[in-house]
Amino acid sequence: MIRTRAAPRFAELRLLVIVAALLVLGYVAVVASAVATFSATPVVVPVTFLALSVGLHLFLVARGTRGDQLLLPLALALTAIGLIEVQRLAPERLALQQLTWCCIAAVAFVAAMLVPRDLSVLSRYKYTWALLGFALLISPLIPGLGREINGARIWIGLGGLFQFQPSEAVKILLVIFFAGYLDEHREMISSSPKRFGPIPVPPLPYLLPIVLMWGIAMIVMVFEKDLGATLLFFGIFLAMLYVATGEAFYTLIGALMLIAGGIVAYQVFGHVQARVDTWLAPFDEELRFGSSFQLVQGLFAFANGGLLGAGLGNGMPERIPIVWSDFVFAAFTEETGFLGGLALLSLYLVFVFRGMLIALRAPTTFLQLLAAGLSFIVAFQTLVIVAGNAKLIPLTGVTLPFVSYGGSSLVTNFLLTALLIRVSDITARVRGGP
Amino acid sequence: MEITFNVLLWAVRIGFLVLLYLFLVRAFAALWREMRTEGAVALRPSGLAFLVVQRTHAGGPRSGERLPLSAVTALGRDAGNDVVLNDEAASARHSIVSFSDGEWWIEDAGSTNGTVVNGTKIWQKERLHYGDELTVGRIGLRLEQA
Repeated sequence: MIRTRAAPRFAELRLLVIVAALLVLGYVAVVASAVATFSATPVVVPVTFLALSVGLHLFLVARGTRGDQLLLPLALALTAIGLIEVQRLAPERLALQQLTWCCIAAVAFVAAMLVPRDLSVLSRYKYTWALLGFALLISPLIPGLGREINGARIWIGLGGLFQFQPSEAVKILLVIFFAGYLDEHREMISSSPKRFGPIPVPPLPYLLPIVLMWGIAMIVMVFEKDLGATLLFFGIFLAMLYVATGEAFYTLIGALMLIAGGIVAYQVFGHVQARVDTWLAPFDEELRFGSSFQLVQGLFAFANGGLLGAGLGNGMPERIPIVWSDFVFAAFTEETGFLGGLALLSLYLVFVFRGMLIALRAPTTFLQLLAAGLSFIVAFQTLVIVAGNAKLIPLTGVTLPFVSYGGSSLVTNFLLTALLIRVSDITARVRGGP
Repeated sequence: MEITFNVLLWAVRIGFLVLLYLFLVRAFAALWREMRTEGAVALRPSGLAFLVVQRTHAGGPRSGERLPLSAVTALGRDAGNDVVLNDEAASARHSIVSFSDGEWWIEDAGSTNGTVVNGTKIWQKERLHYGDELTVGRIGLRLEQA
């Protein structure tokens, strides 16, 4: 990155002012509802958040960062909603923990803007990143280090306190690797593949990673019992393969392989079966107050919300178990209604759309694939958890990006945002635009 | 007291939603603006100079339209040209405008009706200066700096 003089980012600043007001209003509503009076005592969260926002904005200004001015306000708006929801839903100590994670995420954002100085390092050492990602992925399976929480073995713990979900970081590493790999073999895109009738036969450099990726996805599903991550990893991979090749058939093969794997897993493994059963018949006599209790309570929350919602702090989302991580969308929609839920989804829409625009305009294939893949992470994750909450697909435990309680997820999403901003910065410099 | 508190609390709650939508609208607007300006930026560097349409006819390019020139630009009626002139009096490939050694040059590409620079029909590769008027078929163009 070329060092330049500070450059103002007025569009970003204007949006951040609204974000700040949004956080304060939401926070006041939630706290006032809880204690039944307006009190000025809990100022730690809003003040820290505002300081972080201003700090990040000034950092980008001081660096003379060009290009995108939308992603940071969007990320911070979602984080603000997340803080409001954690304050509303989770036990007291979690709110402060989430705030701490916000600070760590901000540091990660700054670090990712500075290091590596040249993004091509990412594509040059792609196999190193892939290896690191794989090591992180299987690390929860190591006895003593891995932890099984809520039925999924996807955590590593150090000591009794610190817990980390490595699969979050793996997502970014995977996208970096795929972008580098598909970029390296991109000449094969232009040469039309051999065909048996209408069926294109993928050349080996494509076939190999499809099979390998499928194997990894299956390992995650079977041994770590993490259905959400399975869906995410494979979905991101298929989307990037499609972006790189433009060949819908590969995506189709991949989707069929995933479905086949899913059907076999449904027959063989109890935890997959349980998820599908609660999805198909959550109101079943035996499941209603058992394994599908969370889903059913979530559905009632949606219904209770109606068009305008019960009012922030006025609903009954606490009746959903572990609402602050998996069901934060249901809780937000209950209290702000259809309008609030729609607005929240629109924020993700703008974020992903912006990411895709950055991808379209990026100057090199690697940067294009990188930006597209990073945007897909946010899109898929939102889709999987919101659709899971709404009983459109079986519920899987992925986080709602930026909003759900959870440190690893927040840090990952801020890293991702920083990388997108950097790609857009490079594009702006190459094109000589604003 | 109780009532005032409730009214205020609801005002805050509704204010939150209103702000959320305000933010959304602003974000959409910023996205829209950026798409439009970036589109304009993408067009600019493609032209080293421009041919500005002076005289035209119905079905031809708009009068005053700025046709961007690259290092080598083919003009003619055929769709394979860099600048396509929808004019029956223009040949499929009419003339070539090029930039080399810091100068603009024009050359007739074997057209039926010939290429005219400043009122004179050209027979070989000729220098072009900014402000020169060319006629290709029935369309009049002027070379202008980017």
